[in-house]
Amino acid sequence: MLLAGASSAVASSAVASSATAAQVEMSEASLIYATAFAVLLVAYLTAVSSKDLIRLLISLEMMFGAVFLALIPLFSLPAMQSTAFSILILTIFVSSSELLILIAAITIFDRRKRSIDVELVSEGGDKV
Amino acid sequence: MQMTAELGVLAAVSCLTVLASLGVLLTKDNFYAALYMALTMIFVASCYGRFGLHPAFVLIAFVFVGAIGIVTVALAATYRKPPERQISPLWIAPSVITAAILGYSAFLWHAHSPNLSEIGFEMRDFLAPENILLVIFLISLVVLLVSAILRIYGREA
Repeated sequence: MLLAGASSAVASSAVASSATAAQVEMSEASLIYATAFAVLLVAYLTAVSSKDLIRLLISLEMMFGAVFLALIPLFSLPAMQSTAFSILILTIFVSSSELLILIAAITIFDRRKRSIDVELVSEGGDKV
Repeated sequence: MQMTAELGVLAAVSCLTVLASLGVLLTKDNFYAALYMALTMIFVASCYGRFGLHPAFVLIAFVFVGAIGIVTVALAATYRKPPERQISPLWIAPSVITAAILGYSAFLWHAHSPNLSEIGFEMRDFLAPENILLVIFLISLVVLLVSAILRIYGREA
């Protein structure tokens, strides 16, 4: 319901929004990519170091944040602007759905195992 | 001069983004890690705001941070456990090496990059019937997922 509310807010802002005309300089695009890489690497490091599922969830959200950042320069290619916005909307909705499932899985996992430690996750992945 | 100021604003927001993400890595408490994550996402949305992409700002701030981010913060507050450092020293060196390689690649891309133009994105152009259908399908996907999750919860209970 919250998602639907936010979508209607976007639709209403869409009517009000006019054409944007911000120039993306190459240095700005490089800065955005560098920031995206930095956030992505911090998220990876958080994911591999995480001892509980909450920290894993947080790191996944940050990875999607890095993806959002990396999409900004796409908006500066004239032929790609609508496509870039479509990719952004797809990414936001699909990642939100994925994270929603993970949140539900964490609560169900805690109900069954009485813990949210990563070590207790026995399904999936490789065993060393 | 104006362009320098704009680049300075973007650099400041980028620095804050990286610092907030480092906060996630370095903090011991999951609750504060979730708050830092929400802050990181707000700064990411601010980058979109800097280029005048306000619909994207609203989507990230309301859908991603407002819904999923706040649920994560609530979850971190609910499943609170004694704070412990969650950083693996073994992975720091590979991460730094990867960062160096990616940084060098970004530098090369900067040297041989295509010409970028003004962001002339108009929401009016995006609101074509096929894109509206895409948004409707995506909202349906979320509604279906929530229904499925509620049903699974019902079974578990």
